[in-house]
Amino acid sequence: MGTLVLSNIARSFGDVVAVRDVSFTVAPGTTFGLLGPNGAGKTTMMRMILGILIPDRGVVSWDGAAVTLPVRRRFGYLPEERGLYGKLKVRDQISYFGRLHGVPAPEATKRADAWIERLGLGEYANRPCGELSKGNQQKVQIACAALHEPELLILDEPFSGLDPVNAETLHGVLRTLRDAGTTLILSSHQMWQIEDLCESFCVISGGMVRASGTLAELRAAWPTRIVEVEPVASQLRGVLDAMPGARRLPEADRPVLAYEIPADADTAALLRRLVAAGDVTRFERVDPSLHDIYLRAIGAAAA
Amino acid sequence: MNTIGIVFTAEFTRRIRSRAFLAGTVIGAAGILVLTLLPMLLGGMTSSASKKVVLVGDPTLTAQASKALARDFEVASTLPRLDQTPTAAFLDAHGKAAAVAVLTARPGGLHVTVYARDPSQFRESFGRDLATVQIGLALGVPAARVEASSKVPVDVHDVSGRFADAAAADAAKGVAYFFVILLYLAILLNAQAILTSVAEEKTNRIAELLVATLDPARLLAAKILASAATSFIQLGAWIATGIVVGRVAAAVLTHGGAATGGEPSLLGTVDVSSGEILAFLAFFALGFAQYGVLYAAAASLVNRTEDLGSVAGPLVIPVVIAFVLATIAMQVPNDPKIVVCSLIPLISPFVMFARVAVTNVPAWQLVVSLVLNAGGAVLLAWASGKIYRVGLLLYGRPPSLRQVIATLRA
Repeated sequence: MGTLVLSNIARSFGDVVAVRDVSFTVAPGTTFGLLGPNGAGKTTMMRMILGILIPDRGVVSWDGAAVTLPVRRRFGYLPEERGLYGKLKVRDQISYFGRLHGVPAPEATKRADAWIERLGLGEYANRPCGELSKGNQQKVQIACAALHEPELLILDEPFSGLDPVNAETLHGVLRTLRDAGTTLILSSHQMWQIEDLCESFCVISGGMVRASGTLAELRAAWPTRIVEVEPVASQLRGVLDAMPGARRLPEADRPVLAYEIPADADTAALLRRLVAAGDVTRFERVDPSLHDIYLRAIGAAAA
Repeated sequence: MNTIGIVFTAEFTRRIRSRAFLAGTVIGAAGILVLTLLPMLLGGMTSSASKKVVLVGDPTLTAQASKALARDFEVASTLPRLDQTPTAAFLDAHGKAAAVAVLTARPGGLHVTVYARDPSQFRESFGRDLATVQIGLALGVPAARVEASSKVPVDVHDVSGRFADAAAADAAKGVAYFFVILLYLAILLNAQAILTSVAEEKTNRIAELLVATLDPARLLAAKILASAATSFIQLGAWIATGIVVGRVAAAVLTHGGAATGGEPSLLGTVDVSSGEILAFLAFFALGFAQYGVLYAAAASLVNRTEDLGSVAGPLVIPVVIAFVLATIAMQVPNDPKIVVCSLIPLISPFVMFARVAVTNVPAWQLVVSLVLNAGGAVLLAWASGKIYRVGLLLYGRPPSLRQVIATLRA
């Protein structure tokens, strides 16, 4: 198992700068979430890791060495837009990509059958891929990417276009691969789909890293916290309004006092003041979600 | 198996099993069948329909004319005179003849009046065939004697000593023409196969996966080899069909006494030396490689299969130019301009092969041509490989010429 390190990677296409100066490290056997809006440079970075594109500047290394072709054959890749031969049968397709990654033919066929069984594609095994639904094609694609038991598996928007059932199947496959020690890199717009899978994240926008780290690290770096207080009472509101740096948030669909306060504020002292001012039935400090962090990072980029 | 072998096998299997390949092979073989048989069938029709004539005139004269006309016509009957102007019904009644020729001996010589179904056919051939009768009448000697005296034996020798006689030199031109057509067909067939294959992988986004795993140069090489193999098989099937049908048809016509059907087809009589086959293979491989990489690079630049024609069209031009120059080279193989053309990559595979088939090409020219072509193939492979690698991942608006040149410089 190796560590993936990107150091000061940059890549332009003509006058368009896709990736400016990106650095991050993916530890062996971990799952890494690459987040960012469309055009942020995620796919370009993935292509540079895979050697499909050569960086204009910077270095990509795996296990301390450059990513050469033999190294790349130990990687797996699920591109955002599915790449399958429409007329090739499912079993042959999966086996073919396995062989391209160095799996001997008989073993590739054996593993292909195992993946077909695992993904519930048995009835389609001898049908051309072009005849399959999008969800089933996605399953074939993941089998193609993972058949050779890659050390690093890169998945570009793996949940795109999947229905909840197929998304859960893919989730299961990714968890299994993660548990088996495969290093995973996933990109997505949908935070909730990858939040529980990934151990660390990198938010990029405009070709630059806007935030990175584990969820705990990202939350720790968040400048504010939210407190929610019930009931909605004027005495309690008075205490919150008087707090330095506090900002009242619009009420949600149920009556609650919601305030954004500085992350370093003394919430214990705040609670004591609230209790002294009146009856408090609920007091909760809410940590920012990955979605909040993402939006803030992207917003910062836009600003 | 290495990656070239894996891609080659997969590509070859996919292509050989495709309906397009099977349909193309069968339709092509049927086309060869028709092209091979058609001249014979038409020849037979021509003989039966337009070669029968009726001669009218003095029996001595018509007897002489019958012999003189035997070269091109079948005399259905002879008559001493005509009672009325002949009609189509008259011709039908006389063995469905094509024409009636009335022969009259006048003081100035022979005069012939022809009444024909197709008046355009008889003036030249009658005039040529009956010239001996005309001279015989003028000199007062039998036409047969004039005929015997008019044959002048001419022996033509090749100063290079390569061809025994004129017939051998003519046969060599036939062989050269045959192989140049084969090369032309093979390159165009292969071009289509490569264009489709590369465009399919790009438009289906498979290329991205392949390039992540394989060196694009090896991918390109495997694809060209696979399409070459399938093109060879298809071409082989067509040639075999032509040879078999040509020989069978020729045999049937000969044994059936229908020799009027004319010559056996070209494919049925090809006689090729091993040297010519070696030259053909060498220049075929070089030409094939040069055009193959060019077409692959062109196909990598399109985003939709519908756009293939726009990039492939200009690349057909050098193939057509080379083909035309090769046909000229068969007539003037040692013309200085043709010699230069036989050294230029992309063109020389056609032109040099034509020269090799019809003349003794100096060894140094062969060596220079092979070296330049090999160098050209390497250069084209290098340039095409760069374009291919970049083009495969280029989506959206097709690149401009400036961008392609920038890619080559990168």
